Amino acid sequence: MKLFQNLFAKDNGIKVGAPVSGRLVSIKEVNDPTFSDEILGKGAAVIPAGNRICAPVDGTVTTVFPTGHAAAVTSDDGVEILIHVGLDTVKLNGEHFTIHASEGQKVKRGDLLLEADIEQIKAAGYDTITPVIVCNSDEFAEVAAGEAGDVAQGDDILTLNK
Amino acid sequence: MKEFQYVIQDPVGIHARPAGLLVRKAAEYKCQVTITSDGKSADAKKLLKLMSLGVKQGMEVTCTLEGEDEDAAYEGMQQFFKENL
Repeated sequence: MKLFQNLFAKDNGIKVGAPVSGRLVSIKEVNDPTFSDEILGKGAAVIPAGNRICAPVDGTVTTVFPTGHAAAVTSDDGVEILIHVGLDTVKLNGEHFTIHASEGQKVKRGDLLLEADIEQIKAAGYDTITPVIVCNSDEFAEVAAGEAGDVAQGDDILTLNK
Repeated sequence: MKEFQYVIQDPVGIHARPAGLLVRKAAEYKCQVTITSDGKSADAKKLLKLMSLGVKQGMEVTCTLEGEDEDAAYEGMQQFFKENL
């Protein structure tokens, strides 16, 4: 059955996992044109149901913003992924975020990068939708987002093909 | 080679939106576009590198242009900084 799936299902390509559990939505639904117009690249977004923001791929932590609201991981196969927790959350200046990873650190998919107190961020008046963006989208022929719906941390949300 | 200095006015600095726009603008030119701030440099055509400089409001950046269309890029990038950052 596995062989069958590999042969006939769209099982090939580079997969990017959900950094956090929640609801997967189209990047077009993000209420910030920086993301919905794909200025930073193609991707998808997760409306978080949890506080743990984890590595979406095996790779290296490229950037952790000192404010803890965003991090980037470059996968072992060269995909540059930015995870931006909430919209305009740079303005929180680190409040409600805890950093658990550092630049240059090797990570496995699912390793904790950041903790975000989603309820507190919401209470402070911010949209917590979390875009997951492939910053080097241009290097891939296709960046396809999975179907909208509930996802667990680590579920595939993006498939890339060279 | 040409270069200019600019002091960032944008309240969030070279972050998501302005950074994305800056990369797009820099990509219009063939020449190498480098942003230097606080002793660190980044290729202005690479979004993550650029954002990881952590350039904030009030900081001075140096934009360096090197290559065949550096004159056009010098004009274009200066204009971009004034309008967006």
